[in-house]
Amino acid sequence: MIALVSGFLVADNSLLAAYNEGFEKYSIENGHFELTQEAEEDLIETLEKEGVTLYKQFYVDEEVQENNSTMRIYKDREEVNLACVMEGEKPGQSNEIAIDRMYAENHELSVGDTITVGGKKLTVTGFVALPDYSCLFENNTDMMFDSLTFCVAVMTPEGFETFGDDHLHDTYAWKYVNEPVNVIEEKEISDDFMKVIAENAAIKDFVPRYANRAIQFTGEDMGGDKAMILLFLYIVIVIIAFVFAITTSNTIAEEASVIGTLRASGYTRGELVRHYLITPLLVTLLAAIVGNILGYTVIKQYMVDLYYGSYSLPTYVTLWNAEAFAETTVVPFVLMLVVNLAILISKLKLSPLKFLRHDLHRRTKKKTFRLNSGIPFLTRFRLRILFQNIPNYITLLIGIVFASILMVFGMMFSPMLEEYSEQIVSGMFADYQYILKAPVETGDENAEKYCVTTLETTSDKYPVEDITIYGLDGSDYVKIEPEEGEAYVSNGYMIKYGLKNGDIITLKDKYSDDSYEFTIAGEYEYPAALAVFVSRREFNERFDQDEDYYTGYLSNKELEDIGDAYISTIITEDDLTKLSRQLTVSMGDFMVVFNYFGVMMFLLLMYLLSKQVIEKNAGAISMVKILGYSNGEIGGLYIIATTIAVVISLILSIPVSHYTIKWLFGAYLYTEISGYIPFIISNTIYIKVFIYGILSYALVAVLQMFKIGRIPKSDALKNVE
Amino acid sequence: MFLELKGIKKHFGEGENHVEVLNGIDLEIEKGEICVLLGPSGSGKSTLLNIIGGIDSADSGYISIAGEKTAEMNEKRLTQYRRKHLGYVFQMYNLIPNLNIRENVEVGSYLSDHPLETEDLLRTLGLYEHRHKLPNQLSGGQQQRTAIGRAIVKNPDILLCDEPTGALDYKTSKEILKLIEEVNQKYGNTVIIVTHNDAIKNMADRVIKLRDGAVRKNYKNEHKISAAELEW
Repeated sequence: MIALVSGFLVADNSLLAAYNEGFEKYSIENGHFELTQEAEEDLIETLEKEGVTLYKQFYVDEEVQENNSTMRIYKDREEVNLACVMEGEKPGQSNEIAIDRMYAENHELSVGDTITVGGKKLTVTGFVALPDYSCLFENNTDMMFDSLTFCVAVMTPEGFETFGDDHLHDTYAWKYVNEPVNVIEEKEISDDFMKVIAENAAIKDFVPRYANRAIQFTGEDMGGDKAMILLFLYIVIVIIAFVFAITTSNTIAEEASVIGTLRASGYTRGELVRHYLITPLLVTLLAAIVGNILGYTVIKQYMVDLYYGSYSLPTYVTLWNAEAFAETTVVPFVLMLVVNLAILISKLKLSPLKFLRHDLHRRTKKKTFRLNSGIPFLTRFRLRILFQNIPNYITLLIGIVFASILMVFGMMFSPMLEEYSEQIVSGMFADYQYILKAPVETGDENAEKYCVTTLETTSDKYPVEDITIYGLDGSDYVKIEPEEGEAYVSNGYMIKYGLKNGDIITLKDKYSDDSYEFTIAGEYEYPAALAVFVSRREFNERFDQDEDYYTGYLSNKELEDIGDAYISTIITEDDLTKLSRQLTVSMGDFMVVFNYFGVMMFLLLMYLLSKQVIEKNAGAISMVKILGYSNGEIGGLYIIATTIAVVISLILSIPVSHYTIKWLFGAYLYTEISGYIPFIISNTIYIKVFIYGILSYALVAVLQMFKIGRIPKSDALKNVE
Repeated sequence: MFLELKGIKKHFGEGENHVEVLNGIDLEIEKGEICVLLGPSGSGKSTLLNIIGGIDSADSGYISIAGEKTAEMNEKRLTQYRRKHLGYVFQMYNLIPNLNIRENVEVGSYLSDHPLETEDLLRTLGLYEHRHKLPNQLSGGQQQRTAIGRAIVKNPDILLCDEPTGALDYKTSKEILKLIEEVNQKYGNTVIIVTHNDAIKNMADRVIKLRDGAVRKNYKNEHKISAAELEW
């Protein structure tokens, strides 16, 4: 555990440092905007008077033939957003290209390979990390980044020119002459700057750095992961502290005669406390040393690989992490010290005579609770064992619940994302959503005109995110007909924000202060996006457009009579399922860690706690052996009691895991991921976790059966009551 | 002969630590006898009792109970042997601390197909009103009575008592011995009592004195008195 957390924290800290240093080292932009056409010199001059320096960041989005993905190609940039070469070298010829490292790894590309981009054969000369794409968001409005079907790359200026203007994006990056002192000032300055651009040119996109998910998401996610891992560490430490507390109590019970004798001989409480403290503290210290060694080596590398599997991070240097040392070494050590000290001081307050008599209770139990003598004897015996070991079983319950949460969390993602993809596909209202640069007619009767735009949320519940507004007229694709003043809201939006019919939602324009209110008339099953559906007439009225204005077509067939020059975007199944695909890739390995850890936790806790139940009762077990009970019968008593506790814990862990993860979804995931992922956990996952638990316990039970077999009958003869 | 021991030898330790604890014990005990094994500490009396009880094994020799030799039994059969024939009473009671008094007695009754009636036995033992208490809520004498109850509830052929009064005061010791005597008279069990209390020999049908792992005396007690009359 220490190794895992230490490795994670060291990797996280080192990579986060590399990421943060990258802002200066790679001269990351303060923001960028895209215009509908290249800016004239005088426009550049006008804009630069706002206290910024502008840099051309033109790029083309071209299709990669081999992988059916999009490659965003820049001229190698020399002033801002400098590329970090991870392997190989930058391109030197016009038929050469350096591509994003993560994309290359996802598609098993090597330096020297040839790829076909926009119909051109290009040789890959190296792998790079572009600092303005540490997270591969194709568009800032995307729900999730995409390292499978989206890649960034750099070419020589000559190579870049060969792609022509067809897919050219006239984008400019800016850097402030005087850096804003904080994010609030940065936001004010960038808002003002955006207004100036909008007054002087036709703006297509505007993304200040603080809002650029391709730049910011990595840092935020790494911080979020760290908080989760630390929470995870503390829970494990508390469970281990419980285990240690029980172990220490049992050790004192076992060694009562020795303690009594030593106390009677004149040893002080302090001397005995120190004696019994040394072992757990040495074990903790040893675990911390071994854990940290592993953490800084094997595990760190594993964690670094996990991060490099999700993010396009630059090179890093392993940094000594004082916080990791404190969290993984000092905190567990202090916790062990406090727990054990408290128990030892409390227990050793008893008189030497009580120890010699093995009477370790402060108060004599006046009554035991009665069990109906009609209950079969063996059942009563097992119930007594259960009641006797309640602290052990409570610890076991907490541990099993925690391990189950980890395992359910680890197992739920893949089927949940598959189910989500299926829901998206089945909820798609058209196979193609054309978004046009300008209205253009089509002769295809299958096509249906619609309007679409994007507004932002104003709710404080989650970070600001985009809401797609659709305007539709008696649509064959979207089977709703909103009346004037009515809006239908996608089911994901309703659930995520806890909306209901009759509620009024307020959304605002991204590039102005204009806000819009919509009264919810109903819900529409469209899990792919957070969306609001109104009539086309209302859409055009609200957004000051002509009555017959439209922004695109919905169609189940490709519209072949519309030229590429008119098309801004075509949204297909691939685009809508991007989130689930990327999450599967970037979280898959991490989820496996959760599963392994869950099973380890099952095994460890079940073994330690059931072992203590057996050891605590060694005298009784030895005695019943003498009386003629077979090992099978004894196992039936002592192991079945623990089995009952394990089964009850596993059953209880199901609703607890369900509601905990549901809560985590609302409290954590929805703040991290824009858009909506339905909370779906298949019952088979709970069954799987239950089976894993039972199998783990079966293994432990076999070991405990051996242990029972090895308890000598002479134990009963040696031990006094 | 109901219980026969022939040439029982036992040693502990190896090399310099080698100690012969039993040096070829030959004994015969009749069914229904109260037999007292006397001897000083280290004489081997508890080891001998453990070998008779099947919880320790002899290096050589054999024990035969109703014609069955324990040396020829594997672990499973030895368990059955203890289950079928033996009841145990120890100096320190060895009750199961988390079971109440009734349940401690039931630990024994579970082992028998025809156990004595638990409630009747608890009354006989004077424990009925304490049946819902835990062992640590009772006095030493009451705990020892519970241990006797656990041993005799299955009506064993042989009742093995290892220093049954060793942890009790004079009065309580006599009560326990009276109870053992009553059990013997009522159920006809063979009783073997290991003790270093010389006075107890007076209630025995047979007295066996051990010293240094050998039988020094083995005789029928012609002047047996009741447990109530014992004095020490």
